[in-house]
Parts: sequence; structure tokens; C-alpha cells
Amino acid sequence: MAERHFRSKSKLSPRLLRWTTLATLLPCLLSSQAVAQSVCLPLPRLLSITPMGGKVGSEIEVTIQSEHAEQIEQLRFHHPGIVATAIQDPATGEQLEDRFRVRIAPDVPPGLYEARVLCRLGISAARIFSVGTLPETIAPGANHSVASASQVQINTIVNATCTARAVDHFRFEAVAGTHYWIQCDARAVDSKLDPVLIVADSEGRDLVASRSGDRIDLTATTDGPMLIKVHDLTFKGGPGYFYRLSIQPMEAETTIPLTPSVQSVTSYSWPPEGLPQEAPLQEQSPEEAAGPSQTISLPCDLAGSFYPAADVDLYEFDGKKGESWWIEVASERLGRPTDAAVLVQRWVSAAEGQGEWTDLSELSDIPSPIKPSSNGYAYDGPPYETGSADALGKVELPEDGRYRLQVRDLFGGTREDRRNRYRLVIRKAQPDFALVGWGMHMELRNGDRAAFSKPLALRPGVTQPVEVAVFRRDGFAGEIELVMEGLPPGVTAQGLKIAAGKTRGVLLVTASGEAPRGIADAQCYGKAVIDGVEVRRPLRMAQMIWPVADAWSEIPVPRLVADLPVSVSPSEPFPLTLEPQESKVYEVVAGQKVAIPMKVTRRAEFSGSTLQLRTMGEGFEQMPRWDLPIQSDQVEAVIDTAALKIPPGDHALAFYGAAVAKYRYNPTDVEGSERVLKEAQEVANAVGQEVEKLNTQASQGTAEAKEAAMKQLQESQKKKEVAQQRVQKMTARHQAAKEKANPRDTAEIVVSQPIRIRVKPAEQP
Amino acid sequence: MHHPPSLLAVWNWTVRKLRYLAVVLIFSHCQAADPSATVASVSFIHDVVPVLTKAGCNAGICHAKAGNGQNGFQLSLLGFEPQEDYDHLVKESRGRRLSLAAPEQSLLLQKASGVVPHRGGVRLPVDSEGYNQLLHWIRQGAPYDGASAPKLQSLEVQPDRGVAARGSSVRLQVWGLFSDGSRRDVTRLALFESNDPAMAEATPDGSVTIGQIPGKVAIMVRFEGQVAVHHAAVPLGEPVVTVPPIRNFIDQHLFRNLQELGIPPSPVCDDATFARRVALDLAGRLPSPAELDAYWATPQDQRRDWWIERLIASGEYADFFANKWTAMLKNRRDDASDITSNFAFYSWVRDSLLANKPYDTMVRELLAATGTVLSNPPVAWYKRVKDPKQQVEDVAQLFLGVRMQCAQCHHHPFERWSQEDYYRMSAFFTQVGRKPTSTRGEDSIFHKRGIATAVHVKTGAKLTPAPLGSPPLQLPPDEDPRLKLADWMRDPANPFFAKSLVNRYWKHFFRRGLIEPEDDIRDSNPPSNPELLLALESHFRDSGFDLKDLVRTIVRSHAYQLSSQPTGGNLVDQQNYSRYYPRRLQAEVLLDSVDDLTGSRTDFANLPAGTRAIALPDNSYNNASPFLRVFGRPENESVCECERIQTSSLAQSLHLINAGDVKAKLQNPLGRIEQLLKDQIPDDQAVRLLYRSAFARDPNEGELRTAIEYLQTVPNDAAGNPIDPARAKRENYQDLVWSLINTKEFLFNH
Repeated sequence: MAERHFRSKSKLSPRLLRWTTLATLLPCLLSSQAVAQSVCLPLPRLLSITPMGGKVGSEIEVTIQSEHAEQIEQLRFHHPGIVATAIQDPATGEQLEDRFRVRIAPDVPPGLYEARVLCRLGISAARIFSVGTLPETIAPGANHSVASASQVQINTIVNATCTARAVDHFRFEAVAGTHYWIQCDARAVDSKLDPVLIVADSEGRDLVASRSGDRIDLTATTDGPMLIKVHDLTFKGGPGYFYRLSIQPMEAETTIPLTPSVQSVTSYSWPPEGLPQEAPLQEQSPEEAAGPSQTISLPCDLAGSFYPAADVDLYEFDGKKGESWWIEVASERLGRPTDAAVLVQRWVSAAEGQGEWTDLSELSDIPSPIKPSSNGYAYDGPPYETGSADALGKVELPEDGRYRLQVRDLFGGTREDRRNRYRLVIRKAQPDFALVGWGMHMELRNGDRAAFSKPLALRPGVTQPVEVAVFRRDGFAGEIELVMEGLPPGVTAQGLKIAAGKTRGVLLVTASGEAPRGIADAQCYGKAVIDGVEVRRPLRMAQMIWPVADAWSEIPVPRLVADLPVSVSPSEPFPLTLEPQESKVYEVVAGQKVAIPMKVTRRAEFSGSTLQLRTMGEGFEQMPRWDLPIQSDQVEAVIDTAALKIPPGDHALAFYGAAVAKYRYNPTDVEGSERVLKEAQEVANAVGQEVEKLNTQASQGTAEAKEAAMKQLQESQKKKEVAQQRVQKMTARHQAAKEKANPRDTAEIVVSQPIRIRVKPAEQP
Repeated sequence: MHHPPSLLAVWNWTVRKLRYLAVVLIFSHCQAADPSATVASVSFIHDVVPVLTKAGCNAGICHAKAGNGQNGFQLSLLGFEPQEDYDHLVKESRGRRLSLAAPEQSLLLQKASGVVPHRGGVRLPVDSEGYNQLLHWIRQGAPYDGASAPKLQSLEVQPDRGVAARGSSVRLQVWGLFSDGSRRDVTRLALFESNDPAMAEATPDGSVTIGQIPGKVAIMVRFEGQVAVHHAAVPLGEPVVTVPPIRNFIDQHLFRNLQELGIPPSPVCDDATFARRVALDLAGRLPSPAELDAYWATPQDQRRDWWIERLIASGEYADFFANKWTAMLKNRRDDASDITSNFAFYSWVRDSLLANKPYDTMVRELLAATGTVLSNPPVAWYKRVKDPKQQVEDVAQLFLGVRMQCAQCHHHPFERWSQEDYYRMSAFFTQVGRKPTSTRGEDSIFHKRGIATAVHVKTGAKLTPAPLGSPPLQLPPDEDPRLKLADWMRDPANPFFAKSLVNRYWKHFFRRGLIEPEDDIRDSNPPSNPELLLALESHFRDSGFDLKDLVRTIVRSHAYQLSSQPTGGNLVDQQNYSRYYPRRLQAEVLLDSVDDLTGSRTDFANLPAGTRAIALPDNSYNNASPFLRVFGRPENESVCECERIQTSSLAQSLHLINAGDVKAKLQNPLGRIEQLLKDQIPDDQAVRLLYRSAFARDPNEGELRTAIEYLQTVPNDAAGNPIDPARAKRENYQDLVWSLINTKEFLFNH
């Protein structure tokens, strides 16, 4: 009855009804498929090192945690004076994959260094390792109450990790009248922890807390034990929530030094080329919020601070009509939570000695060269902010006369922090550029909010794109060429040209299908001609500190890295290679079409029959999307230089799209682990048989023989237990290997190898 | 489908138009023919509008525009816009509201008198004074005298103050003083309203009947936007022979007031009562047996002050007051991603209180917050409260005790605040700049350079910032106006800032504010003890806005330490603090107290085991806790403390009697009862321990005997056989603790 009633009421035709039903269900089907998909092929990542640092000139043992990093060959540091060696399991003699002995040479300067592992898939993403002058210890853990507080020594760095929903407790012996600087480094050393640092009395009663400064400055009022509590702001915890705690006595009134910290991505554009480490000039009234104007002469390089609260620093100078000056302030890029702004004013005289300051220009944020992610529903830009809250801009002086700068922190209305320093540079135009890059990502599925670090751990046959943001200083608008050198054998790099005025580029790093296993510390830079001179500027690489699968549940935090290792590992070839048939420069006359024969190499199964391709490369982005039949071995890509209005000259382009491959993680480990399992089983069987035999012997023969057999039996039983444990372990490992090797739909960016084209001028009629 | 108009419709339309034309013509004719009519006869401004106001026609739920005006007939709220009202009456609805040709047939009169059905009932009976005023005005031709009528300058009520015996009556007379120097009796047109109807009731004709409750009561008188107040002191008239020793200025003012009113104060409470009371009020928790041991071991003359200092220095003090402040500052979780900003904001409040940051500094850091939430947590307030109008309303109510909401759309009916005042205050927040951050829905806040102005919604004028009751400021574009607002907040001349805070805190300790409601400070709502409020205000300001000093001063006073047991007839007193007014424990405190008594801990998501309910950072924990919901923990939606439900209900009683979570705490295998059994504590010791834990006192002999007898009872099972003695003991203990929880002595702070 219900169905009849529905039909009689429905105005929809059965056919339309079917379509409607399908349309309703389709998103559900698609979304379930989408949810089942993984995004990006696995890449190795070093997640933690415990302890996270060591003292200069010492040798320590560290334990690491990693992701997608088996068969670790090396723990590498970005300083030749820090060397790790493998540790062998004393029981089995096998190399322990997660433990190393690290020697820090006496000449290694204190600071932060990149650490990575070299493993089956190649080089991992980086993790910070600290080198300092204090001895280091590892907190014993389970110190989640006043009663179980860990005793810590003064002038020692304690390495610890927060547990979810718990508060770590530490106890130290305070001396009345002593001034202590209690420091908790977390975000500064790659941790996920937003530390809450609390000093409490010996009974655990809170005395003072710090939530954002990571440090407490305290004078003890009595002799005796005091407690320090540490937890995450939202009580999260786990392996990524590590921290380094230290308690150091210091002279009262001493300014606490800034401890080293990883650099935010925004700081890639600082400093300008040739700027001295220390500014030659200093702010004259650093303690006054509204002090008198300080007279400066241009050009100028000055250091000041946004202190006290609502500080406004005034600088006056005499200028000439027609002069142009570039004004740049760095503070946020120095790692401070500030928002610098500069107001330029001109003194306009009304009568003798009379007049007023009139506004000439306001300089504020440095815009991001590439629109960053809005953290919306799906990927709409890289999660890398490449602009800055710092100020930069040009001022043209309209008249001879007196000018004034007001330098202020738009975030500084109520904050009193002497550490909020800034550097003010006023200069004639010095056109220049700075570059930062990261492993490129694109939307690979609906609601894709992944933010992964992408080390250049290349699979043979891959072309890995590096997205590059260009900061153009003082009006520099020229072309920039991207170059990467020092690559391992079988690896090439091709920068797609960054045209005049453009702020985004792509560098393609290709490993040939036959590339052997290798690793090299590469160098990457941009090359441009400025004022007739070729200049080279380094490309700073950035990575996500932690891999984030969904940016809504965890905010991605990127940083700059100091090194650029590139590796190739033949352990897993890339699922699909698209390359021009010939490695040559294809020539075409302007206004004509050119057909590029392309070769397709498949090394996996794929979902879907076609791969929709877009084009990257200056001038080629507007090329219509086209479908690549995945199963074909050869295709022809046709480029219409007329439609795209490609001017004569040398060009490079590449095709790219998202493919869903049936990916198997480390399938060889299934066989390997099975083999090891069998060996273990054989050993266990042999030992088992021996035990049976000894059992029989122990029950027969002379008393002496029985006694001897009993002794042997006891030893053999121990061996049997060990062998059985190994069988259990190897069974679990084999099971895990099989689980991981199950084919899994995995979406990944496929980029063709670069195609070089020379467009020749059309012959004039 | 579009139908052509019927002939009937056309005819009706024509008749209506002609009627409207006639009204307009006649009206124009009258005005032209008799320009002096407005002078000698009924005034629209001073008679018609007040009649409508007195009859309630322009009230919010009737025809006030602010309430959307019933049936399309819209008047300005309480007649604050007479020109608009005139247009609505005469010109709107095609002029059918008034009939100049047949004034009695005017819809206005017919509806108001109930001649034709009126959903608002009979407001002006035929031949009533108000009815006749309107009729006469229509007969005059319904003239408008807005331009020529003298302006009302002020209002006087006579007598303006006096001492009134309980049960007596007072007749008030109200005089309007006009710009032409005239003085007119407007008693029959004025509105009268008591600030405490339980103490005094006022009739529409100005008669005030005093009730049986002693204290101070005020009758607010309103007429044409002006307000006057009659203050009545109602003595109890009992002899006040002695008062407790004076410990500080609070005692001086409070006991003097009691003497003046003849209300004898209860004696100072005993030490046990004080230990429990002050722990609940300062730290939101019961004293532990170990703390009580230390308390009793302290010399008696130092005991209370020692305990106060210990509580004020504790983290629980900061937890408890942070809980109070973050609720009012709307620290609520609407999205899972709010957790970081909510925790950061809560922590900032909590740490500030722990460090005893001066209150004015806290407010300044909040008002003028800039940056990101993590680097500067008070920025989170701007995430929660985004609209500048909401910002000004919240700030005014929370930090100034002034309710500005009404003034957004019209002149505040009970106050002097105009729309201009409202928009000038909101101008302080117009230069709040926002930049997106990587956290969805979270901006960083900065000062956006420019001249701060807010647009008056009615006049369109661009208004520069002005603190309430102060002249407008001319701020340069570089100056963050919020900093100027913060400067004004802490200015000694600010009449609201310190007063609002001390009144709010007074209420925290005494259940009732000196001004009640605590966030409705206005001339027409005077304090019950003005001298005390002024002294508190001065003390707080002079201390450098020291919150710990304020609470210390309050709880050290004997005024706070009075017994809750009534004496000498002071039971009727509800506002003079002649005794401690008992209060039900608030939801979080009660849950913690049950946990403490039963030796259990409630588990809260994301927080460490053992986290107390008073230390919950936001409202999200209410969802999973029926206990917190039933006992009225707020959802942090309102700036008003009234969002917290402190009344009692049947659901609360049933919850304590029978709810699963309370039962589970009683039966907790790791709880106090199991521990007592495991340790084989003798019954008398166990009962003493439980009484100390629950009531901070030992049981008296009768209580002890009854409890022990009960514990030693072995009931029978269903078959009539005695149950296992061990089981009986366990269940008896559970019953005993259950009964302690369900006593008023446990549920109330007293």
C-alpha cells in the first residue's frame, strides 16, 4: 500500500525517479570511496629522537621513532661533527633500527641541527636535534603526581614527553633568594606541545604559571623543594609531545636570552642580502612608549623593540624631493609574535615654526606570493604562509623637508615583552629576491586537507614537483631560473621558468626508472640577472613539522629546513611515468602546433581508465585539460602555440594530474618476513625435538646420565622458550607485513617529465 | 493568476482614500483655521503620548515598534519619538485610526475602550480621563505641538525620600518642570515602579504600600523619558542592643545600617561553620579533614585569618573565580576546534587570578587584546564576541554594570542612556581589525588604523567614541580606541567600573548584591546600603584594583561571618545582611563535594583524572554530565550571571536521591566507603570522619548514636533471613553517606 501511495503521489516518472535516486546516492558512494582512499604515497619521516639533544663533546645513546622508515641504514645530522653509529642488540647481534650512539664533537657550535634517517624508501623528513652546553637527562616518566615527582638537577636539560590527560611533575631544590630561569622548549624544537609551565610549592600548590612564553622567571623565597608542572594546553600527549626542561640560576635583572628555535617559513625572506648580523644603530629610548623622535640619516639600519606596551617609536630624517626609499621592518620574521606597521609622515609648515605632520604612506603586511590555504573544506592552496606580518614598502618623497616614521606593533597594545625586537632598514632600491619551496600538493580527493612533509625521497620513475614561492624585494620583476645541483646519479632537476613579475614557480626533480640507490646533499638556487649582473639566491626548503592528515583536526605547522638531501631508492618504483619519447628540445614555429609523443610506463594497477592532465609551465597553464588513457603505452600531446600565444624562445612544461593507484606497501617484506618466520619455526622445531629427546634421556639410564640429561634439558628448555618467543614475534611481523602490503587505493600526483620546447619566430611574409 | 479588481474592491479602495483625504484636509484646515488650538487645549506631546504610555499602548509587547507593533500599528517605545508616533496615528493606515468627522468613531478610541474587539483588552474605558483626553485632542483636530510645546526638563517626586513603617502607605506626587518655567502636576500620567515589589508596591495613581520586609526600597517614577526616584527606608524597629566587634569598614557601615533600621544582627558563626562557608565561597570546595585538623590546631584568635590566607593562595581560588568569569565571558565550545582557544582563554583568566593581576589590568588586556589566541589568549574573547554592538553591550554589562541593550534601538527607558551614548560606546570597537589564521574560524586581532566612528542607526551621524556619561573623544587614527576605553575604565572618576565589580563580588559572598540585579546599576535602582557600596568602591580602587585584597577584606569582616540562624526577628530581612543568607551549592561545587565525600572523581573528557568540576574550562562538559545540567551549570551564552540556575527543583532532588551517577559514586570500589571498610575503621571514627568531610564538624551525640546504630543493623533479605553482615555494613555505609548528601546542611552553604 505504501508503495502504491507513493507512486500515485509522485509526479516523477520512473526514469526520472531512478536518476534522482542515483543522484542522491552517488555522493554517498563517492564519498565512501573517497574516504577509503589514502592520499600520497608513503614517504619516510623521522618523528622523534630521545633525548632530543646532547651536550657538546659528549656521546649519548638515542632512541628514534619514525614513520614509513624500515631498514634504517643511517641516522644523519646536518653537521659533520655530529655522527651516529648503529647499536647492536647484545642478545642477537642484530642492528637495532631504533637506537643509535651519537657523538657530538667538541667543536660543534651549540644550536639546532637537522636529523634524518636513511631507510628503505630513502631519506626521511627532518627532525630537530639540539646541541647545547648543559648535560642532558631523560625523565623517567610516570611522574604524574606530587608524590611521584621526578627529581631534577639545576643546570641540566631534562628530556621528557607529555602523556595525554596527565601533568608531569618535577622537583628541584631551591635556594632562597636565588633567581631561577625555568625554560621549557617545545615548539622551538619541533614538538607538538603547547606547553603549560607551572611552578608550585612542595605540596603542589600552584604559585605561578606560564602558558605562552615557555619560560618562568622566579626568585625562590625559601630554601627547599619546589615543584614544576608541565602539561599540554589541552592535555594532549603522546610521542609528538616532547619537551626540554631546564632550570638555571641567573643573576637578577639579567635579560633572559632567546633560546634557539626553528624558523617559520615566513622568515625565508629575511635578511636582505649583505645585511650585517648586528644593526649599527639602536633605538635611543627603548623604555618609553612615546619617547621623543630619534633623528636618523638615510640609509639606515637600526634595531629596536616594541616595548613597552603600545610602544610607538618615532624616527625623523631629512629628505629630498624625488627620492625613493624602501623601508623594511623585520620582527615577525625574527620569530616574534608581532605585527609591525610603519606610518610615514611629512612635516608641512603652515607658518614660521608652525605646521603639522601629514600622512604620506602606510606600510604594513608583506603579502604572500602564493595564496595560502584557507583551511576550508578542501585544498585551495598550500598550507605554507609565505607573506609576513612585517612591513615593507616604497616611499617617494614629494618635497624637500622633514619626514617622520612611526614604527609600531599592531599586536602590541597591551603586551610588555622586551623580547619583541625589530630591525628597521631604510635603503635605496636594492632589487633582489628570495625563494622558498616545498613538496607540492594538490587536491587529490574531495575534502582533501592533508598537509604532509615531502622529503625528496625519490622512487625511480617519479617526477616530484617542488612548489616555489618568490619574494621580490624592492621592485625586482625579472625572470628567475631555478637550478638544483649536486644530485645523486640518475636524478635530474628542471626548473620551470619563473617569468617576469611572477611569484610562483615549480621545480621538477626526476629520478629515472633505472636510477640506482643513492643520496646526495643537493644545492638549489634561483638565478636571475639584476642590473646586468647574474645573481644567485638559495632556495630555502620548508616542510611540515608533523604530517597532518586533516587540517581541521590538527593545524599544520610548517618550518624551514636547513638542508636539502635528495635520495633515490629502487625499493619501490613510482606507479606511473609519463615522459617524452625523446629527450630533446622539440622545435616549433610560433603560431603552429607541435605534437609531443609521450611514453607511458605503468608499474601498478589504477582505478579508472583515464588520467585528466593539466599543464604547468609559464604560458602553458591555460592549455585545455586532456585525458590520458592510462592503459595506453604511447600518447601524443599536442600543443597549440597560437592558441596559447607562446612567444618565441625556449620553454619548459610538464603535464600533471591525480591518479589513484593500487598501492602495496613494501611487498617484498611479506616474503622476507615469511622467510625469517620459517627460519624461526625451523629453529623452534629443532629445539623442540631436542627437548623431547632430552626428556626421554632424562627418564632413562643411569642416575648420572639422567642428571646430565636434566642439565641439558634445562638449557634446551630455555632455548625453546626463546625460539618460541621469536616465532611469535616473527609471526606478528609477518602478519603486519601482509597487512601493510594489501593493495590500497592511494591517490598521488603524477607529473610528467619536463618537456622542452623551442618556439622559433615565424618567418615574415 | 492576476485577477482584475472587483467593483467592490475598487469602491472600498476609493472610500478609504477619500476618508484619508478628508482627514488630511480637515486636519490641514484645523491647523490653518485655529493655530492657537494647540496652546490652550490638549497637548499631543504632554498629554496624548503620556496617556498612551500610561495605558501601556507603546509597551514592547503591544504596539511598540521595538516589539514589532501588534497588527501593524507601531508606536515608539514608551513614546520616546513623538513625531513618529504622530505620523503613525494620523497618517498611517490611510488615516483610519482617527476620524476627525466623528471622533468617537476613531479606531484608536474604539480599540482602546474595547468597543471593537482589541487583543490588548480595555486600556482606556469610555469616559475615563485618558479616553477623554484623546477624544478631546481628536476633536481639536488632532494637532501636533512638537515644535511649540515646552520641553520637559526634569521630574520631581514628592516626597523624594522618607522613613516608612512596615505596612504603611505613602502617596507620591510627581511634578514636571518645563522649559518655559512652568511646573505641572503629572502624577496621573506618570508611571510608578518598585525596585522590589516584595518590599513595596506602587499603584498607577502613585500610592505606595510598604510591605513587611525591612530595608531600603525605591519607587521609580517615569514621565516622558525623565526619571525620578522615591527612596523609602523601612525599619524593622527592633532594639539593636549589641553588634559584633567591628573588624573593618564593612562592619562599620553594615552594622550602622542595621542599627538605623532596627534589625538585630545574628551572632558571629562558630569556627566550624566558618571553615566550611569560607572554603566554599573562596575556593569552591569543602575543607578536607586534614585541613580541618590544621585549622583546629591553629590558635583560635588566628584561626580564621590563617584559613582565609591559605584559601586565597590556593589554586582552587583561581579555579573557582576563573569558572565564574569565563562563564560570563562566553567561553563556550561550539566546534571541536574551539578547544585550544577555550583552554587558552580559561588559563589566562585562571593564571591572572592566581597571580592576582590587578583587575583593571585584566580588563585592559581583554578589551584591547591583539595578536593570536595562543600568543595572547584574551584575543579569544573577540573570537566569541564578534559584533561591535555585542562587544559594547557585554563590556557595559560585565565591567560597568550598565545594561545598554535597549539603547541600541531607542532611548533607554529607565536610564539616561540615549542611542547616541550607545553608538559612541560602540565606536570604541570599530577599529578592531581581523586577519585570518590557519585555525578555521579564528582571526588574529589588530588595531586597524583610522578614525574610530560608529554610525547612528537613526540619524546616520558618524559618532566618535565617548565613554558613558563623558564627552566625546577626538582620537588620532593611530591610537587604538580600546586602550582609551581601558584608560577610562580605571580612571578614579569612573562611576561604574569599581562599583560594578565590588557589587558583583559582594553578591558572590552575600547572595544578594548591594545593587540588585548586580549588573543593572542605574540612578533608578539605588543600592540598599549606599555608604557601604561607596566605601567598598573606594577601598578597591585605592588598593590598586586588588581582587585578593577585596575578597580578603570581605571574608574577614564580621558582617560576612554572621550566623545564618535568624535572631531577634531578623528572619524577615532579605537585603541588609543581618545574617548569612544560605545558598544552595552551585552545580560544579556540589558535584565536587559529592566526589570529595564519596572519595570519587568525575571523569571529564580530555582532562586529567582528578580534575575538579570547578576547574572545567568551558561549557562542553555539561553535555556529558546530567548532574551539571540539572543543577544549572550555565552554557556560557550570556554575560549575565543569571544564566546560572540557582533555584531548586524536583529534578535536582530526584537526581540526588536516585540518579545513576550518584549511586555509582556511593558504590565506587575505590571510594571512601570501601576504604573505610578495608581499613576496618571503627564505626564511631568513620561517622566522625564522614561528618567532618560533609559538614566540617563532628556529629553531636544524638547523630553519632543514630548513625552507629544504623551501621550495625543487619536487615533481612526477601526471604526474611539476615543478609551477609559484610554486605549489610557496606550498604549501611552507602545509606549513611547518601543521607548526608541529601541533607540541607550538605547542599547549602550556610
